[in-house]
This record gives sequence, C-alpha cells and structure tokens, in this order.
Amino acid sequence: MTDLASAQGSELLTGSLPDERLLVKSRRVTKQFGGLVAVNEVDFDIPRGSIVSLIGPNGAGKTTFFNMITGFYTPTAGTIDFDGQPIVTQRRNRMKGKKPHEVAELGIGRTFQNIRLFGTMTALDNVRVGANVHLRSRWWDAVVRAPRMLNEEAATLDAAMDLLRLVNLEDRAHAWARSLPYGDQRRLEIARALATRPKLLLLDEPTAGMNASETQEMTDFIRRLRTEFGLTVLLIEHDMRVVMGISDRVTVLDYGTVIAEGSPLEVRQNPRVIEAYLGRGAAEH
Amino acid sequence: MTGATESPKYGTGLTGWAAHVGEVLSGLPAAYRRELGSNRRRAIVLTILAILAVTYPILNRFFLQGFSRNVFPLPLPDDTVVTFMMIFGIMAIGLNIVAGFAGLLDLGYVAFYALGAYTAAFLASPHFGSVSFVVLANVANGFPGIHLPFWIIVPLAVLVAGTFGALLGAPTLRLRGDYLAIVTLGFGEIVPVVFRNMADVTFNIGLGPISIVADHLNLTGGPLGINPIDAPFLPFLNIRFNASAGFAPVYLGMLLLVVGILVARNLERSRIGRAWMAIREDELAAEMMGVNTLRTKLLAFALGASFAGVAGSLQSSYLGATTSDFFQFSTSILVLIMVILGGIGNIWGVLLGAIALTYVDKTFLPYLGQQIQAIAPSFPNPAQFNFLFFGLTLVVMMRFRPEGFLPNRQRAAELTVHGLIAAEIARGEEVGVDNLGMAPPGQDEVAGDARAAETVDESEKE
Repeated sequence: MTDLASAQGSELLTGSLPDERLLVKSRRVTKQFGGLVAVNEVDFDIPRGSIVSLIGPNGAGKTTFFNMITGFYTPTAGTIDFDGQPIVTQRRNRMKGKKPHEVAELGIGRTFQNIRLFGTMTALDNVRVGANVHLRSRWWDAVVRAPRMLNEEAATLDAAMDLLRLVNLEDRAHAWARSLPYGDQRRLEIARALATRPKLLLLDEPTAGMNASETQEMTDFIRRLRTEFGLTVLLIEHDMRVVMGISDRVTVLDYGTVIAEGSPLEVRQNPRVIEAYLGRGAAEH
Repeated sequence: MTGATESPKYGTGLTGWAAHVGEVLSGLPAAYRRELGSNRRRAIVLTILAILAVTYPILNRFFLQGFSRNVFPLPLPDDTVVTFMMIFGIMAIGLNIVAGFAGLLDLGYVAFYALGAYTAAFLASPHFGSVSFVVLANVANGFPGIHLPFWIIVPLAVLVAGTFGALLGAPTLRLRGDYLAIVTLGFGEIVPVVFRNMADVTFNIGLGPISIVADHLNLTGGPLGINPIDAPFLPFLNIRFNASAGFAPVYLGMLLLVVGILVARNLERSRIGRAWMAIREDELAAEMMGVNTLRTKLLAFALGASFAGVAGSLQSSYLGATTSDFFQFSTSILVLIMVILGGIGNIWGVLLGAIALTYVDKTFLPYLGQQIQAIAPSFPNPAQFNFLFFGLTLVVMMRFRPEGFLPNRQRAAELTVHGLIAAEIARGEEVGVDNLGMAPPGQDEVAGDARAAETVDESEKE
C-alpha cells in the first residue's frame, strides 16, 4: 500500500496493472436508458489501496457508473469484476447483476450524494444497520434471545461505538440521525458504510456543502481511512482542491466516456478536460 | 473493528440461555425498584393497571357483575368480549409487525386469521368424519374426524399462516406502497371466498400409478362452516376453554397475548427489527447497506401472518365453530384501525387500540343500542353503524393526533413536526438514564430543538 501511496497516477492507469493488484476491473461497461447512453464502453480499474477520483461535468455518467458498481443498475453491456469476482455476468444475451445487498456483502460500502441516513433511527442504530450484513443470528435467535444473538449484539454494539468514536460522534450515539448537523450526518454516513467492513468505499461528493475547514477535515479523514484501514476509495467530487489533494489517480468522464486519466497534475493540464469543463476554446487560452 | 475475537459475554447452548433467562428474571425486582425510584407515579399507575388487567375477569365474576349496571356509567365487558380483546390484541400486534415495524400496508390480514381458524377447524372437529385420527385429544378413541389438542394446533396454525404469508409475500413484496396494498386486499378477499365455496369439490388427479380422486368432497363446510370444533382442553385440571367456561378462556388468551408481546418485542430489539425500521425509512439505502430487503420484508409478512394464525385458531376453538362470515374485509380494516388509533409501531399502543375498539364494538355500541331502543324504538341501532363510528374516530384522530393514543416516537416524528420535536426532547431525557454507561449529550435541549425544527424545515422544502 505504501508503494501505491507514493506511486504516480500514470503508473496506476487502467490496464497497466496485473489483475491481482486490482480491486475493481471494468471492461467496456455501457449503460443505456432508452436512447440515452449514460455510460459508454468504459474501461476502469481501481488498484488495491488507491484513492481514485471520478470527475466530470454534470451528467457525465459518474453516478450511473457508481450505481453499476454497487449493483443498483445492471449494465447494458460489459463486465465488472470486484476482488476477482464478477459483479455482472452475461448469460446468453441477458445481463445478470448481483443485487445491491450482495455487492455490499462482497465488500463495497457507499455514501450518497444527498445524504440518505435512516432519519428517525439513532446514530448508533444507523451504524448497526450497516453491520447487519455480517450478523449471523436468525430471527428465531431474536425471538428466544439466544446467547449467540446476545453475544453478537454485544459485539456489534462495541464495534458500532468504535466507529462512532472514529467519526467523533460517540456523544451523539443516541441522537436521531435527522437531528444531527449536516457535517455530522456526512460523517455518520461514512461510519455506517464502514460498518459493512468494506474493501472498497465509494464516496459520492463527501464534501458537498462543506466549508473550507470541514472540507480539509474530511480530506484528512479519507486519507486516514486508507492508511489505517487499508481501504480503497473511489471518490466522486466536484471540489477540485479535494480531488487534487488526495487522489492517486483521476479519471475524467464526459458524455459517458473516459476522456482523460492520470495523476491529478496530468489531468489538470489535459486540454480535453479543460474543454469539457470550460467549453471549446478555453483550452487554447 | 470486528470485536468478534473478544470472549463472549453469554454462555452458549441451552445452559447459557437458561443462565441468561435466570439472570433477567432475577434482575426484574431490582429493575422494578429502580423504576419505582426514578419515576414513581408512572411505576405505580402501571402496576395498578397491570394488576387490574390480570384480575379483571375474576373481579368481574365475583364482584362487579352483580351491581355493575347501577354503579358504573358504562357497561363492563363480559368474558366473551375480554377474550376477543385478547384475540384482537394478538392480531393487532401481528399487523403492527407488518405495518408498524416494516411499514408494509397489508389490507388482507384477515386471510391469515381465517387460515388459523380453519386449521383448528380441520384438525379438531368431526368434519372429516370418514377418518378417525385422535391424538392426545379430549375425545374418545375412534371418534370420527381428526382430533388434535389445541396445544399442537397453535404451532401448526403459526406454520400454516406463516407459510401462506411467505407464499403471498414472495411474488408481491417487490411491489411498493399502494400496489402491495391492492394485492393483499385481493388475497384477503380470495381466502374467505375459497373457504365458502369449497363445500363440493370434485377432482381426479392422476400421478402415474397414484390417482387422487375426490367426489363431491365437502372440504370446508361451505357457508355453514365447520362445527363443532373441540375446545382447548387442559388435562389434569380438566378445564375446557370454551364459551361456557367463564373466565378460563380469557387467561388462555392472555397467555398467548403475553407470548405474542414478548416475541414482537424481542424481534423489534434485534437486528431484524433494525432492518425493518431501516426499510421503512429508506428502502434503497437499506439495500445498499447490505440489508436483503426482499427477505427481510418477507420475514415481516410471514411473522405478522403467524400472529393472525394464532388468533384464528384461538377464536374458532373458543367459539367451537367457524364460518367464512367471520373473515370479511371489514375485519382487516378493523385490525388496521386498532393499529392506527392505538399508535402504529408501538406494541402497547396497538394493544390499547385493540382493547378499546373491541370494547366499543362489542360492548359499548350494543349497550348504546339497547338504551336508544328503550327510548325510541324506531331509531336505528348504532351497533349496526360501528364502522361509521370508527371512521369518524379515525378522521378526528388523523386531524388532532395522527400518531395514535400511545405513539411510537419514530412514527410520530414521521407524521408531524410537533412529534419530531417532542421525540427529540424525550430522547434527550432518555439518554441520561441509558444503560450503555455513556455520558448524556452536552448540548442543551433548546439548541437541540431548534436544530430539529430546522431539519424539518429543510426536508419540507425539498
């Protein structure tokens, strides 16, 4: 992981690393909604232990791509492998994707662009719902309060409190999610995603609506997730300071296709990227 | 992060479970004293209510019945009505799992009630007179029909109703909201009609060498239903829990109700309960966080249905007869009204709703009818307009207290701004005495309320 952290973005380009070093490998992924091609034949690799950003103008297909990795959408064509396992498979002419809860179980946690916490559940219970995927006690254990369920609940409580501590919300464990301030809600959403014990964390605009100091805190926190938990992070972000600050590699989507890929510096200077963001002609100036 | 490596807190296996149960039971007196210390008035009121509830049938029999009409302004419910309070209480708690915990609108809940009732009718009556199958039942060997004891029928009714709940749920739970309500409504209509019409069944199924033939088989007794059904019987004490047994059936109902309350409460406070709530809050987010939403909803549906199975088997065994007329759409609606009026999502609320509505339906309105008939014989009997009263009550409640008599705080917050703020305040108070050994939040309540109100404003703007 340390070698990745110091690696140049261009060394992490899609197709340049062997499969065993990839956590996500997508090939020719396409998603069509009726006549609209939202994502068009995208090849996209996420190396293990890296922080990769996906950027692009509004409507470029970033969130659609996210939703295909998490199993919410099934691609129209193409393959996505996660940790060596296919998330979508093609059977004859039909694409069959894993369901979101199965993907979560494989080890992909996510947050949402507009926060989607369980509003009238406590912060603690929100995190415990995230842990649900690893709990093995069944309903009859709950009915009779079997020891294995009680032990599991006790361990879950401890683990959830640890996660709340990690995001500085241990004091608000019993507050309802919807009553928390905005920044706390963002961090609670990450804690909930971490409770699923992901290998890959997908963050959809984690600093949206934050001020400069909150943004800095969040950036540091994301970096910490990689170093302390060995997480791989895929980031959708509009704030270029965040993207440039923490990404090992940046991939730029426009109209559903990859128009540039490389280290933050390379991408920033790429004329096609400037054109996509600022319009034709801007690149020449 | 896992915590799985720590030494387990509770011993495993049956001994561990027994030790835990013993611990909980032996801790009850201390918990009661604590409650008495922290909220004396509430503890005393609840204690008196509990004692009254448990002793009511005896009090009614020996003291109240004799002079009730002249002393109390309202009539007291008799043993039959109280037994039905228990039956509807079980159903309300079961529907609360589906509608309250998981947020699924089930308008055909009566179907499972019918399935429970007919399970008992098939397995403890002379209906299938061509066979004689008597096991541990209170009838002579060789008596025609299938006769199983009530204590075996109840788990079977749970199984039958739960299985049908799962069968209905499997294809339909992909539907959301209104669509699910319509499909369950259809199921609720179909089941009683099937029971009404399967009195003359003729078929011939050939499966290779085996052929199953039925020639004008009377499967369900048709519009006449099935009777007599064996009453629940307690050997050794020789108690038959039927309509002529005084208050004994009340206690049978109470026993089943208490078991139902425990089961529902234990489910609510488990990972399944949390998953149900998460689905109710945001199904998509729950799915993304690894909750198998389809399976979890199916579980709510099947478990909720099994409560109605228990209620149905108790009802038909107690009455000694069943016909499809008992299981009309109006019963589904009645139970739903109990849940909503009582306080959707709160076990004690829906229980209160069941007791109150059964009282109004079976004691108060008939009494009112008698009084009115005595004064003005030509005036319509209000007992025939029970749903008019329930409907009006519902309208009034929805206007002034949509969260029900004894609301669940979460559901109240979903329904009203006021509920959210009240719940936040209550929550703040609760955190101070929580059992997790954590300090209460440092913020003062006013700030918390302002923030809560703000959040509501924002979400309304969206």
